[in-house]
Amino acid sequence: PSYDSMTEDRSIESPEHKRPYAEAQQLWLHADEATRDLTAGLSEQLRLILEPTLATKLRGDYKTGKRLNMKRIIPYIASQFRKDKIWMRRTKPSKREYQIMIAVDDSKSMSESNAVNIAFQSISMVSKALTQLESGQLAVAKFGTDAQIVHPFEKPFNTESGIQVFRKFLFDDTKTDVKNLVVKSLSVFSEARASGDSELWQLQIILSDGVCEDHSTLQRLVRKAREEKIMIVFVIIDCINDQESILDMNQVTYVPTVGGPPQLHVTKYLDSFPFEYYVVVHNIKELPDMLALILRQYFSEISSS
Amino acid sequence: MDPHQVKIKLVTRDQDQALHVAPNPLYVPVSLKRYGLSEILNHLLETESPVPFEFIIDGTILKGSLNDYLTSNGLSSEAFLTLEYTRAVLPPKFLASF
Ligand SMILES: [Mg+2]
Repeated sequence: PSYDSMTEDRSIESPEHKRPYAEAQQLWLHADEATRDLTAGLSEQLRLILEPTLATKLRGDYKTGKRLNMKRIIPYIASQFRKDKIWMRRTKPSKREYQIMIAVDDSKSMSESNAVNIAFQSISMVSKALTQLESGQLAVAKFGTDAQIVHPFEKPFNTESGIQVFRKFLFDDTKTDVKNLVVKSLSVFSEARASGDSELWQLQIILSDGVCEDHSTLQRLVRKAREEKIMIVFVIIDCINDQESILDMNQVTYVPTVGGPPQLHVTKYLDSFPFEYYVVVHNIKELPDMLALILRQYFSEISSS
Repeated sequence: MDPHQVKIKLVTRDQDQALHVAPNPLYVPVSLKRYGLSEILNHLLETESPVPFEFIIDGTILKGSLNDYLTSNGLSSEAFLTLEYTRAVLPPKFLASF
C-alpha cells in the first residue's frame, strides 16, 4: 500500500538529508543498552493493557459441551429429545490486533532542549517492547515541517530497522507542524483500517517537547481522531532544567474587547494543550510507567463510555 | 489569525528587585515588537503605571519584531530566545505618548 500523503522515502541512494550509517548505528547501540532493563517492564505493562485476558465465558447451544444449559432441558424433553443443543462451551478470548505508530518530533527545538537522547531511547524502548508482544504492527513517523513514515506498518522491526530509523532523525527541522502530522496520520490509519478487520485498535504515540501552535485547531482534530476510534497519546519530553520546564511555561493571548484594544491574558501553556491524554517525562526511566498510565486511562475511559 | 509563536525567556541585570520577573518561559507571537513585549512585562510585573522597557537579544537591541530578529539571524521559530530587558531610555516626546 502507498500512503499518498505520508510517503516513505523509497529511493535507494537518497539525496535526502540523513545521518551516516555508522553514526546511526552507534546511536542505536547506545539507546539499546540504555533501555535494556526498562524494555521488559514496559512490555509486560503493555501486554496487560493491550491484551486483556477476557474471562472465558461459557456460551452457546451445542450438542456436546462442558456444562448443561438448564433452560434447554425442558424444551429438550418436550421435543422428544430432538432439540438437543443443550450444552455450553468455553469461548476463546478474541485476540485484539493493534497498529501503533510512534510519531517523533524532528524539529530543531528538540535539540535545543536536549530531548534528543530521550527521543532516541524512547524509540528504542517502545519499538522493542512492542515487538516482544507479537500481536500487532508498528510504524514510526517523524514530523516537523512535514510528516513522513520512516518505518511502515507492514515491515517487521529489528536492529537494522532501528538504525535506518535513527538515520532519518536529525532534529533540525524548522517547524513543528503537529496539525499536519495528525491530519496525515488519520488518513494513514483509515487506509490501514479499510483493509483490516474490525477488531483493529489503532494508536498513535507522539513524542515531542510539546511546543506547538494553534491549540484550538488541534483540539478539533483530536476530537475527529477520537470519533474515528484512533487513540492519540502525547508524551512531552521536558527539559531537566527546572526553570525552563513546560510545566511552568506561559503563553499570551489577546482577547478582543468591545470598543477597546484587545486585552492581554497570560495563561499556562498546558492549560490549552489539545491532547487530552498526555504525560510529561523528564528522563527515560519515567517513560514505561507514564506510557502505561495514559494508555490505561484511555482504555478505561473508552470502555466505560 | 496566523499564530506563529516563539518561546522566549525574560532576564534582567537590573538591581531593582521590583523589576524582576519569574523565570517562566513564555510562548509569544513572533509579530511582537518592543511595545508588545513591554506590555507583557508590565503585566507580569503588575506595575501600577506602565514602565517602558527595551529588549536586547544576544547583544543587539530589538528594533523590529521578534520575527524580524529571527529572519535576519537565520533562525526559525524553533529557537528559544533570551530577551534581556532594561528600562527604556526614550526621548522625552516618546515618553509622553507612551
Ligand atoms: Mg519544535
